[in-house]
Amino acid sequence: MVIRMDDVMKRYSRTVALDCFHLHVEKGEVIGLLGPNGAGKTTCLKAIIGLIGIDEGTVSVFGLPQDGKNKEIKRQIGYVTQELTIYEEMSARDNLAFFASLYGLTKTDIDAKIPEVAKLIGLEGRLKDRPKQFSGGMKRRLNIGCSLMHDPKLLILDEPTVGIDPQSRNFILEFVKRLAAEGTTILYTSHYIDEVEAVASRICIMDQGHVIANGTIPELIARIEGDSHILIDVRISNEESLGELKGIPEIKEATLEGNRYHIVVPGGLVVFDKILPILARQTIVNVNSKQPDLEDVFLTLTGKQLRDGA
Amino acid sequence: MLGFNLKRSSRDFMGHLILIAIPIALIAFFNFVYTNSDIISGIQGERLNLLATLTVGFALTFQIYGAGLSFETIGIDFFSPIHERLACSPANLRSMIITTLVSSSVVSFAQTLAIMLFSVIVLGTGIVHMIWVLVIMLLSIIFHQLFGSAILLASRSVKTANIVTTIYGSVAPMLVGLYFPLPDTKLFAIIRQFSTPMSLANTAIRGIIIEDTGMLLSALTPLLVLIILLFLILKPLVGRVTR
Repeated sequence: MVIRMDDVMKRYSRTVALDCFHLHVEKGEVIGLLGPNGAGKTTCLKAIIGLIGIDEGTVSVFGLPQDGKNKEIKRQIGYVTQELTIYEEMSARDNLAFFASLYGLTKTDIDAKIPEVAKLIGLEGRLKDRPKQFSGGMKRRLNIGCSLMHDPKLLILDEPTVGIDPQSRNFILEFVKRLAAEGTTILYTSHYIDEVEAVASRICIMDQGHVIANGTIPELIARIEGDSHILIDVRISNEESLGELKGIPEIKEATLEGNRYHIVVPGGLVVFDKILPILARQTIVNVNSKQPDLEDVFLTLTGKQLRDGA
Repeated sequence: MLGFNLKRSSRDFMGHLILIAIPIALIAFFNFVYTNSDIISGIQGERLNLLATLTVGFALTFQIYGAGLSFETIGIDFFSPIHERLACSPANLRSMIITTLVSSSVVSFAQTLAIMLFSVIVLGTGIVHMIWVLVIMLLSIIFHQLFGSAILLASRSVKTANIVTTIYGSVAPMLVGLYFPLPDTKLFAIIRQFSTPMSLANTAIRGIIIEDTGMLLSALTPLLVLIILLFLILKPLVGRVTR
C-alpha cells in the first residue's frame, strides 16, 4: 500500500482539520480528492508529505511511518504545490536541475533527465528561457516538471491547473493520464470536477475533515441513483417560486442557478403537473432532464456546489 | 547548490548596479567635494589619504546593504511557498541556509572588490596592505550577511530585515564621520572608531593602513566576537525554520 492513513486527527487550535480521517491508496491508483474549501484536503496532503505533524492516528507512506524526517519517503514523493514554487529569475533548465539536485541526482543524471521531462511538459524548446517570460500555463507545467525530475513513485498534485488557459489545462490532464498509465501513483486535488473525472480511477470526497464518500465514479453515482434531475430554464427566475417548488412533497431538492431551476425527484415520480404551473408564470424557455454525474454526487453528499465552496 | 545560489545572486543586475555603481559615484563625488572645499572628512587621518578613506568607508557602507543578498534569498526559500517544495525534499535545509550565506558573502565580496579595484585602478587610490584590508572587508561582509539573516529569521519578515539594515546602513556611516565631520572630542573619537560593526571594520582597516597594531586589534577583536555571537544566535533561529 502506498498511503495508509488511519484515524487521523489534526487540529489547528479549535479547528478540526482532519477528523478520524481514513485513506488507503494502492500502488498505481489515481485518487481524486474533492472537497470544498476548508474540507481538509491540503491538510491531508501535507500530512502525507510530512510537512505537518498529526495529533492522533497513523500515517504511513510506502509502508514507512511518516514522521516528516524520513528521507526514504521524501525521495519517492513528488509534490506539485498549488502556488507556483519555481525561481522566476532562473532559466527553466536551472529550475529543473536545481530541484533534481535536492533529490541527490548527479549532474549526469540531471543532464539526461532534463530533455525527457522538458518533452513531457512541452517546454523542450524553452529550457534556456526564464519563467518570467512564460505564460501562466507554461509556468504551471514547469512547476510540475520540477516535481518529476526524480521519478517519484507517488505524485501529489494540489490544484495544478489553477488560473491557466484551457489548452494548458488539457495538456496537464493528458500527461497526468500518461504518468498514471506508466504506473505512478497519483493523488490529485482540484475544484474542477471534470478534471478529477478525467484523471482519477477512484474519488474521495471530503467535507469537514471527513471522507464522506470514496469509490470509483460509477460506484459514487450509484449511491444517488434513482434520482431524476430536471433542469428548467426560464426567462426571469425568482426565489419565491423556488420556495414553492421546495414545498412540493415529491421534490427531494430544488436549487436555482441564474435562470435555471435544478429539481431532484426520486426516480419514477412524475411531478411535471405540479412544477410547470409554478414556473409557467416566468416563461419556460427550455426543459431538460439530466443523468446524475459527479457534480450531483458532490452536491448531494456535501450540500454544496464545489466551486461555490472554493 | 552553491553554483545555483551564486548564479541566482549574480542575476540581480540592478542590485549589482546599485551596490557597485553608487559607491563608486559617491567616492568620486565626495572626493570632488572635499578636495575643492575646506571641509575635512570626519574620518580622514593624517596618514590616510582622502580617496582611501572614502573608498574604504563607502565599500563598508554598501556591504551593509549587501546583507540583502542573504536575507532576501533566505526569505524566498523559507518564507514563501517555495519553502514547502524544499521542505518536502530530502535535502538538508540547514546546509541550504549555510550555502546561501556563503554564496551571498562571495557575491558581496566581489562587489567590494569591484569598488576597491575601480578606486585603485581608475581613481588612482593608494591603499597599502591591500590583501589584509580585503580580509577585514571579508569579515565585515560575513558579519553583515549574518546580521541581516538573523534579523530575518527572528522577525520572519523580509520587510523588517530590509528596514533594519536600511536604518543601520544610513546611520553607521554617519557615526564613522563619512558624510560630514564629527566634533573632534574624545567621545566622538570613540563613537567614530568603535560604535558600530562598520566603525570596528573601518578602524581595523585604518590600523592596517597606518600600521598601528594596537588600533587593528582593538577593533578586530570585538568584530570577531560579534561574528561568533551572531553564529551562536543564528543556530537556534535556523533550527526554527529547518525543523
